[in-house]
Amino acid sequence: MSDPVRVPPEEQIPTGGRRLVLGALALLLTAGLIGFEAWPLTAWRLFSLSRGDRQTMWVLHATTPEDPARVVDLEELPLRYRHAAWPMAGLPRASDERRDDVCRALLGPSLEVVPDLTELRIVRDRQRLVERAGEWVVEHDPEPLHACGPEAP
Amino acid sequence: MSAWRRAIDDALWGPEPGRRVLFVQTALAALIGLRVALGSYRQLADTPGPLFDPVPILAWAPSMPPAWGFVALQVVGATAAVLAVLHRWPRATFAVAWLCYLVLAGLRGSRGKVLHNDLLLLWTAVPFLLAPVALRWSDRRPRRDHGWPLRAATVIAAAIYFLAGYHKLRRSGLDWAIGDNVRYVMLWGPSVGAAKWDAMATWVGENLWASKATGTFILGFELTFPIVLVKRWLQPAYALVAVALHVTTWLFLGLDYWAWALTVLVVFVDWPALADRMRGSAAPSG
Repeated sequence: MSDPVRVPPEEQIPTGGRRLVLGALALLLTAGLIGFEAWPLTAWRLFSLSRGDRQTMWVLHATTPEDPARVVDLEELPLRYRHAAWPMAGLPRASDERRDDVCRALLGPSLEVVPDLTELRIVRDRQRLVERAGEWVVEHDPEPLHACGPEAP
Repeated sequence: MSAWRRAIDDALWGPEPGRRVLFVQTALAALIGLRVALGSYRQLADTPGPLFDPVPILAWAPSMPPAWGFVALQVVGATAAVLAVLHRWPRATFAVAWLCYLVLAGLRGSRGKVLHNDLLLLWTAVPFLLAPVALRWSDRRPRRDHGWPLRAATVIAAAIYFLAGYHKLRRSGLDWAIGDNVRYVMLWGPSVGAAKWDAMATWVGENLWASKATGTFILGFELTFPIVLVKRWLQPAYALVAVALHVTTWLFLGLDYWAWALTVLVVFVDWPALADRMRGSAAPSG
């Protein structure tokens, strides 16, 4: 491509530089405008989906002698488990084996947090935000998808 | 030549003083070094296989690396970044630091969730992989062969902000800004982590005018960002608004976008010229 502006020869932009920039922009804009994810190519869908008073969350429930549905907050687990909600969200379409693999991957760190846990459940929680007496509270509608537990001694 | 073509040519390949380009190159290397050195990467070692979902560029990786692998990448990346800041073998050291950062950020994003926290810095740094190496702090005359990495970086950053707004409009329409969306974003809070200023987030959520004003402002800001490519005097103002946006995102939603905030400040503010002006105004007159 010829320079559209008259440029002194010593100020010409190197061909490699032009190709790098045009290539990067082509990739960035293609992924961004079409809207596909292939990190580091991304659709830049930051908070793009409108939120309402309902949302579906994927959570962990533990059964203990005192509490049949003790929520195991992923924030209580080490960093490597904190994004587990995303793999869990893919489980409805997954095999039983895959569901059990994910459940057992989360069982170990959950036992560290809830030592008397007898069963761990992956739960789809359909939540609704409502205002009651000036306070915002979340109503839960949990639906267990898969359960696993510590091996018997 | 058409006005459009001239504008695009100037936005992408226009002249800049070598010292400003050198400053941006150095600052981006420093930011990359900080992200590489300070990031919580080692804690990702031993992520169980069922929770490991590698991003496409790391699809070849069978699992998360062990802790020593993360440490090695951090040491190499941080050392290369320091050398790039010192302008030692600048092209090679900048590239090594960038590559280590790309891999580390990719590994962090290999847990199922698309992460954008590092992408603005990674993408705006791309033109500097081939930036001229003979720049000097004394290069004050704007030149095209000096300026193109910085001009290209501004185009990339502006495109990223625009695309963020474009997808809000495409997926949710104007309702994203003027509906109940921001109200519920604030009231629900973050899906990962915790808000740093929960009371203020709740206040915005409970006052519909505030949430609609916030949504309209954010969407308008993102969609109009490319204007800074032709009205260059607006760049510092847009950079400051972006910083405010990322700081409030951290306060209200607990999300870490400090790399974005610092990247826009580095790229869109002419710090050497600002330093000159401050020195000039501080110098005794007469």
